[in-house]
Amino acid sequence: MGFVAPIVLAGLGALAIPVLIHLIQRERKRVVEFPSLMFLRKIPYQSVRRRRVRNWLLLALRLAALALIVLAFARPFFRRSELAAAAQNGAREAVILVDTSYSMEYGDRWATAKTAATDAIRGLGPGDRASLVLFSSGADVAVRSAADRGRLESGLASAVTGPGATRYAPALKLAGSLLGESALPRREIILITDFQRRGWDQTPGRDDVKLPERTTLTPVNVAAGETANLSVTPVSLQRTRFENHDRVVVTAGVVNHGPRPVTRAALALEIDGNVIQSLPADVAPGGSSSVTFGPFTVASRNMRGTVRLPADALVRDNVFHFVVSPSEPVHALVVNRGGAEREALYLSRALAIGESPRVELTSRTPTTVTDADLRQTSVVLLNDIQAPDDLVDRLRRFVAAGGGLFVAAGPHATWPAAAAAALPGLPGDPVDRTTTTPSRLGGLEYSHPVFELFRAPRTGDFSAARFYGYRGVLQPTGQVLARFDDGTPALMEGKDRAAGAGRVLMWTSTLDLEWNDLAVKPVFLPFIHTVTKYLADFTDAPASLTVGQVIPAPRKASGKGGAGARGGTIAIAPSGGRVAVETEDGALELAEQGFYDVRTQGAAADSATTLASNVDLSESDLAALDPRELAAAVAGRLPGSTGALADGRPSDEAQAQAQRLWWYLLVAGGLLLAAETLLSNRLSQNGARVS
Amino acid sequence: MHNQIQPGGLAGARFVDPVVLARVGNLELIARSVVDGFINGMHRSPYFGASVDFAEHRGYTPGDDIRRVDWKLYGRTDRFYIKEYEADTNANFACLLDVSKSMAFGSRGVTKLQYARILAACLTYMVHRQRDRVGFAAFDDDLVEFVPCSAKHLDVTLHVLDRLKPSKPGALAPPMKKLAEHFARRGLLVLISDLYEDPQAVLEAVAPLRFRGHDMIVFHVLDAAEIEFDYDQASAFEDLESGEQIPVVPEALAEQYRLLVREHSEALRSKFSELRIDYALLNTSAPLDHALFSYLSMREQMSRVR
Repeated sequence: MGFVAPIVLAGLGALAIPVLIHLIQRERKRVVEFPSLMFLRKIPYQSVRRRRVRNWLLLALRLAALALIVLAFARPFFRRSELAAAAQNGAREAVILVDTSYSMEYGDRWATAKTAATDAIRGLGPGDRASLVLFSSGADVAVRSAADRGRLESGLASAVTGPGATRYAPALKLAGSLLGESALPRREIILITDFQRRGWDQTPGRDDVKLPERTTLTPVNVAAGETANLSVTPVSLQRTRFENHDRVVVTAGVVNHGPRPVTRAALALEIDGNVIQSLPADVAPGGSSSVTFGPFTVASRNMRGTVRLPADALVRDNVFHFVVSPSEPVHALVVNRGGAEREALYLSRALAIGESPRVELTSRTPTTVTDADLRQTSVVLLNDIQAPDDLVDRLRRFVAAGGGLFVAAGPHATWPAAAAAALPGLPGDPVDRTTTTPSRLGGLEYSHPVFELFRAPRTGDFSAARFYGYRGVLQPTGQVLARFDDGTPALMEGKDRAAGAGRVLMWTSTLDLEWNDLAVKPVFLPFIHTVTKYLADFTDAPASLTVGQVIPAPRKASGKGGAGARGGTIAIAPSGGRVAVETEDGALELAEQGFYDVRTQGAAADSATTLASNVDLSESDLAALDPRELAAAVAGRLPGSTGALADGRPSDEAQAQAQRLWWYLLVAGGLLLAAETLLSNRLSQNGARVS
Repeated sequence: MHNQIQPGGLAGARFVDPVVLARVGNLELIARSVVDGFINGMHRSPYFGASVDFAEHRGYTPGDDIRRVDWKLYGRTDRFYIKEYEADTNANFACLLDVSKSMAFGSRGVTKLQYARILAACLTYMVHRQRDRVGFAAFDDDLVEFVPCSAKHLDVTLHVLDRLKPSKPGALAPPMKKLAEHFARRGLLVLISDLYEDPQAVLEAVAPLRFRGHDMIVFHVLDAAEIEFDYDQASAFEDLESGEQIPVVPEALAEQYRLLVREHSEALRSKFSELRIDYALLNTSAPLDHALFSYLSMREQMSRVR
């Protein structure tokens, strides 16, 4: 007889603990003064109260139950001759994983990998089957479970490296599922890669791969010797406005992943294919440095920029593409009371500042707002006006078509009750706080986009502003984003929004100094800007994207050349190939490095959008992972021990049969515990009766 | 926080063991020795918001008082600028001290109340030296002492502080509600307590003061034994406030206890930061001037950031 887990028997030592506690603690009773039992009381009762041994039979029962359970967990078994018999060697199911990420282009890695894969294919015995899987950030089955070596070799011959980054987890998961489908007794994964550390995320829960039982992982490392590699970093673009043109300053960086310093690495900035400036950079080993190019003017849409390093052993990470277009301003329309334009001073000044987005402001009175104004603008701000019925009707159509509406309800504001549904609530009676203490803002909804900017501590204090007057809210229907200290809503958003309709915000005080001093507080400017951005639904177009990213097909707004277009959207890939994007909710996956041209068929040529696609630059860090570490993580044991286990094990059923004894021990332990419960219940009832 | 800066790391400053301070007895003397040493060590006085430090220039906008226009700058640039200051007047400052019975606990020779009392005295003394108005309030489950803010109230405050005796169980909400009405003018309030209440309840109790616009600092004073729970013998633990006893085996639950205290402190920290209230956990076994120094230097750094 033996034990599967003899170490668990050490748990028998735990039997001494209840006895010792009983002997040591029997007579003492100390009182310790403690400030508060608040936390102690929260800890579950059982661990707090010390059980005292009242009855030796009870103690004996408990000890016996404990001992039986410990024995059960030690898994005793009887040696039988059949267990010693090793399982028969059988045919093998192999999955050959070949890394095609761009780091394999370094030196002769790709050639070595192909040789290793060919060797693996030729090493298959008769009756063995193999699959060929090519992986980078995703994994594709090139040949599925074939016994034919010719098919496998031709599949390997057509494999090429791509712009993807290394990720081991999807490939291993795919290999695991391929092996899981197989009926062959031996399973093996042959992983041919350069073992980049970046490909394996060691945070628990991220790359949890579970391989099927009795799978052997054979790592083949094609990386050899010291590596040296320079790569560019994503550029940062700084826009300035100069004489009605955008000027952009590009800052780019170089990272040295090698062990030796690099001096005067020439970084070149190309705009639309022409080199406009070249700057040298010195980089320490393992370090990075950045250079800032001189400004250039953004003259047209979709200007293609590239930052380029001279070619080295790994070429793909030496270029970084980006796209710049002139910034498009947000058009805002401020509607003031006739003769009260000066009251919008703070508002218009606040909106005039700012580059991203630039706000182009038009001022009107309620009677002079034209339909053309509403067509051009994306945000309308009603600054404390008496809204006439016809304007309200037009504004409702404006919001339904996607425009944003901001209503500041000061002392003069009115809104027709018939159109109450268009607002989150109707402005009610004014509240006068000039005679008592002024009110302050509280209860801000920091999770809302308007206040998200102010979420962190010390990013703006709304409670500094004093409010001497504000309007109550009648028939409130919307979501309250901020309240005054008496609970009256200060900022509300309309909740029921139809698809495609714009957003509506109502502010129940003024935007000048008449009712409050928010306008002279530091938070006013960022507040007005986030409100405008939120209402205009403004998002910055990204200057660059990464290979593998899936983006919704860019949709050109109707009116600018896209109106007459019909047919689907197509994208022209950097290699010249055409990719059709489905018309309805189409999405485009970036598969190549370079510039994509996306346009609607039949539309004018200048309506195209250019996207810059770059390789994942984390791949350029060639630091290697110990293959054994990866093998241990996915198999739960070291690769050296897997061979013996995989070959010499009896079947699962035979093993389970031999170890059945633990089950009886556990049941006996459970029965003893039940008896102990009965006995202790009886004893405690007796004790209660006696007392 | 208090062990981020090692005592040896600061030339010229020395930190005084709170046990020694507690024996001195004379609060003014203690406050003077701690604060003077600490200021000499820093070579710069930490500011508490109330000063006449120049802050920034801002463009003139209609509505601004023309008396505040910087005419020298106008002479140089031909444009109007307003000179702005950190604070225009001297500020109100008050310590709110918890004197509930749980504050009478001390395992290392100094009780939490003694420690808190010295802390309050030091802060009051320091602020008084900046010519700010000082006030004081002590509470358990009700207001016990109240000294209104005044530039002349340093002696009264120190005298009241000296007399305090813990007598009743504590509750935060009722006295805070009363105090919110006592402090009409905005100022700086320092709450010193062991905060034995649910974090949400603490927050709701303190919020009325904050909503009145006061700048608030909360010092959470705990004894080393409360934080580390380094008891080793099974005993009956008696609640200082309610007198209730429960039997406790320290080894079995020390780990859970420490976790709960940590969670409590973290919960308070995050909830206070939502209200823009500064929070610092003070361990009474750490030297007081050291704790003060590290807290104030942190506050000074943050005030530069905003």
